[in-house]
Amino acid sequence: MSRYMVNKAMWEIDQSTETLAAFKNDASAFLERWESQATRPTSPYPQGGSLTTPERQALEARDYGALYAMGVNPFLLWQFARSVSVPDEMSGEELVASFRDAVEPHGYPDFFT
Amino acid sequence: MADLVGVLGVTHNPLMWAMMRNSVPDDLTRVAANFDHFRSLVSDLAPDAIVLVASDHFHMLMMSNMPAFMIGKAPEMRAGHANEERQFGLDPSRVPGDPALAAHLLGGRDLATGFDFAFSNEPWLDHSFLVPLLFLTPALEIPVVPVFTNCNAPPLPTAARFAELGRYLGEAIRSFGGERRVLVVGSGHLAHELGGPRQFLGTSPDPEFDEKAVTWMSAGDLDAAVADTSFDRLTEAGNESYQFLNFITCMAVTQGRPATFAEGTPTRFGNLPFFSWPTR
Repeated sequence: MSRYMVNKAMWEIDQSTETLAAFKNDASAFLERWESQATRPTSPYPQGGSLTTPERQALEARDYGALYAMGVNPFLLWQFARSVSVPDEMSGEELVASFRDAVEPHGYPDFFT
Repeated sequence: MADLVGVLGVTHNPLMWAMMRNSVPDDLTRVAANFDHFRSLVSDLAPDAIVLVASDHFHMLMMSNMPAFMIGKAPEMRAGHANEERQFGLDPSRVPGDPALAAHLLGGRDLATGFDFAFSNEPWLDHSFLVPLLFLTPALEIPVVPVFTNCNAPPLPTAARFAELGRYLGEAIRSFGGERRVLVVGSGHLAHELGGPRQFLGTSPDPEFDEKAVTWMSAGDLDAAVADTSFDRLTEAGNESYQFLNFITCMAVTQGRPATFAEGTPTRFGNLPFFSWPTR
């Protein structure tokens, strides 16, 4: 489990319109490039580990239920979900409804890092 | 010597701010009236520095480097981040700082006894600072000392520690040698959830918590507030309720005086906090 790295990936995707567009265009390619940079020991934010296969798959598939169940930070998860989906793919109301359905079965997982 | 002129606690909900920007929807008229009232309080108190206690939401600070308590000391600060502009329409702004007061709060030549603050010479304020300022001091002309508290990335400091922070700030402000009228503003939530099953319910995720919380403030019951705001209890109230702890700091700045104004104003976003404490 590399919960911190999942948080960091979601955080970085939301940092700019460029990163957001790159992730939306090709999530797999974005994560591959990002992870290779994130694990290379150069400044300013050198290392954090790497993503596991289930983590990478959940990010690529935007599987909010799986990410939530892993214990990612809920604030970062919602920020990520809203930024990658609204308004191009669905309305805010639609995202609220589908997000609730996805996370509800998982209660309140520990999200400490 | 500096004078502590007032202590306020308010909401910083950026969706609320965006919604009220042009015209005020029906469910937010009471919120608008409360902000009008608080803005006139600020005007009457005529502060020339604001110590603003708020919690960055992964804008300046990320889990790569997460201080529990941090004081910003800069003559001028950036406010508003790219994703806040994109999502809420918050324009990037500049806010004046008060490095002399900030340096005193840090402790002077040594860090303060009993409080090992982190500091930043380049604080960059997010909506948790900017939204209260836009409502209370729309011209952003009053110098601000930002006090960053970690309420978003657990492990968090305990409620008891937030109370100690308030006691410390109250004493430290009063012992500052510069001529200042200092206002303390806390920024936070009552019961609030984001990114969990109870977000956007159209009402509070925990009305019972809100009622108790407002009562602690109006009664000045610092001990009860500290006793009933563990991490787990706040999670029960909603997974973003931790920022209520900033109001415990505010109450402790006054040594636990009863608030003269304490309200959880009902809105579509839940009950939004408005607190005002006397300082003498």
